[in-house]
Amino acid sequence: MNRAMRRLKTTTTLALSLAVVGGAAVAQDWGAELGDHSGVTLRVQTIQDPFISALQEMGPTFTSVTGADVTVEGFGYDPLYERQILACSQGSDEFDVLFIDGIWVGAFVDGGCIDPVEPLVAEADPEIIAMDDYIESFAGQAYWDGQLQCLPIAGYWHMLHYRTDLFEQHGLEVPETFDELMDVARFFAEDDGDPDVAGMAMNFQRGSAAGQQFFEWIYSAGGKPWESNYPGSPDAYADQTPLFNSSKAVEMIQFFKDMVPYGPPGVEQFAWDERANAFTQGRVAMINNWSVRTPLFADPEISRVTDSFGVAMFPHAEGAESVPPVGGWIMCLNAHSQQKDAAWDFMRWFAAPETHKDFVMLGGPPSRHSAMQDEEIIAAQPWVPTLYESAKAAWSELRPRHEMTFEMIDALGLQVNRAIIGDATPQEAMDEANENIAQMLQRAGLLK
Amino acid sequence: MANATETSDVPRTAVRPADDERNVKLLFLVPAVVYLLLLSVVPFIYSVYLSLFDARLTRLDRKFFIGLENYQNLLTDPLFLKAIQNTVVLTVSSISLEIVFGFLCAKVFLSLREMRTGQVLRSLAILPMMITPICVGLMFSYILNPTLGVANYLLSSIGVEGPSWFGDPTFALPTVIFINAWQWTPFMMLLMLAGLVSIPSSLYEAAELEGAKWHHIARWIELPAIRDVIIIGLILRVIDNLKLFDLVYVTTRGGPGDATELITYFAYRQDFRFFQVGYGSAAAVIILLMSIVVTTFAVSFLRRNQR
Repeated sequence: MNRAMRRLKTTTTLALSLAVVGGAAVAQDWGAELGDHSGVTLRVQTIQDPFISALQEMGPTFTSVTGADVTVEGFGYDPLYERQILACSQGSDEFDVLFIDGIWVGAFVDGGCIDPVEPLVAEADPEIIAMDDYIESFAGQAYWDGQLQCLPIAGYWHMLHYRTDLFEQHGLEVPETFDELMDVARFFAEDDGDPDVAGMAMNFQRGSAAGQQFFEWIYSAGGKPWESNYPGSPDAYADQTPLFNSSKAVEMIQFFKDMVPYGPPGVEQFAWDERANAFTQGRVAMINNWSVRTPLFADPEISRVTDSFGVAMFPHAEGAESVPPVGGWIMCLNAHSQQKDAAWDFMRWFAAPETHKDFVMLGGPPSRHSAMQDEEIIAAQPWVPTLYESAKAAWSELRPRHEMTFEMIDALGLQVNRAIIGDATPQEAMDEANENIAQMLQRAGLLK
Repeated sequence: MANATETSDVPRTAVRPADDERNVKLLFLVPAVVYLLLLSVVPFIYSVYLSLFDARLTRLDRKFFIGLENYQNLLTDPLFLKAIQNTVVLTVSSISLEIVFGFLCAKVFLSLREMRTGQVLRSLAILPMMITPICVGLMFSYILNPTLGVANYLLSSIGVEGPSWFGDPTFALPTVIFINAWQWTPFMMLLMLAGLVSIPSSLYEAAELEGAKWHHIARWIELPAIRDVIIIGLILRVIDNLKLFDLVYVTTRGGPGDATELITYFAYRQDFRFFQVGYGSAAAVIILLMSIVVTTFAVSFLRRNQR
């Protein structure tokens, strides 16, 4: 992976050099398509995820084509949501382009915070947006209320990340099922003779971390979160009767609880950062993780496992199929922006397949079929073929996306965590979660 | 006109200075009153108003009047009730620790007050209360990290396996209480030290002549002398603890489970995570009422004692 990271940097440098040399040609191509926005400063608000530096590096290219300056501001997950919703409630035009998590789309549409892009896409050159080229499992998250609301820019999928050196050393096979996963985790926690390396780290922290983890695993456990939400469902929201206390769900929570002793100390409080840090520091043999962080594991400046990690498909229960979690960031047009023309030009320029490739080569997450199959990208990011396989097997309605999403995930995360720490049995915790969520949905008019 | 004439007949010299003086005083009060109205009273009234509605921040134009339903739901919400319970436990435990250790530290610094070292140590001792709670939370997150933290490293060096301080429901709330008490014990210590310094030395001399032990002095001289100071500190700390948010936000986020859920964190999540501003406002109103009841009770107790 170390070599891969060096290749990525070399290729990126080469690509940027070519972009500078061929800048006139790029400007000429796009110059005819995009307007002149000299004097405009576009403000983009996004998550402080690893792709932000790639996004920031793309700005000057847009400036060279349109004359518009681009500033990118990043925030943590919770602060971003809070700021965006508060700004929306005040009709703020502070930012023109908003990156939002795909699961927030219902709340943003409900609050009138974003303008749907479907009419704009319909008017645009279909080759520029190339909607068919977006990976379906992620592109689905940009739709709400039957229309395309935003552009699916930065797709993430979950993969199992494991330590190749340790697996080779002990002659272990990469686990495919939950049972195999537990056996391998137990081996590393108890029998490998190294007390500093735990088996598997998962997100058990109360709230969003544990709540989202429920949704990430339930389909691969052979269950479903509510009645009409299952892979391939024609309408995931037709019947939202909650099934959080189904036998499959309770079995899965028991599995989570059984995995706790095989995690690092304090794993009950682990969320995304703690999980990734444990793997980066070589303190755990396996994690399931969003692909956006995979390049970080290959970065020698922050990782101790650069040459010794591999990726595999998300595990599944016996008799079920792997349904890897999908998430990521969709790029939306702020309904209160005073610079919508320039903002839309930026969005469609950024969404175009060739721009997307540049973005990926700078470290952005691949979200298009063309990017996933691109030889240069695969050479720079060797995990992409597994990622592509995961992306094709994912289900876009993984998590709820309506206006009650946060409350629902938080209520669920509280009960999952209670079961994990032994404050309630998995059955008791899930019964309570089911009842709470049913009441919540009834109050919101989403359940009769 | 007749009235105007009558008014003008009143001897001006007798009334005017007092009226003018009163008007000037009132005028000086205007900025403070406007400030208070705009930043405290108006938002509070709006909070009470919102608490009577089913309202989301993203669609305030579509809110529905539901009367006292939010309050009814809150008072039957197990998480809110647990938050009240945790807040009471945290408040009582933290303040008890602060008073006990604050008094002991004050005694130590009282005996060192003539020494230069004592003054330096006293300045160092009040450092914790100068650090923002967010930084205190982060600092203890690192110290008490089960894998990388120095606390468990030191425990392991003497053969003790340290717990997951913030991850184990048995330890989480006591750990938060300990951190809170650590930060604010110096505040109590300062108040009590000021009280102890004001006790005439003749009382100590008389007690010594009578053969009083240290605990007799503490029980019959020092504690009665600083009782009012303790009550003032207690009122301030109760109000502070009812508002405690940062520490829990940084260290536990209310978890594990609901072990460290506090009323402020509950209200924050309703308002700024779920944007259920009606429900969140109802929670905020209840917090304010709790503060008012506790403070009123404590102040009246203080006044009774002063009489």
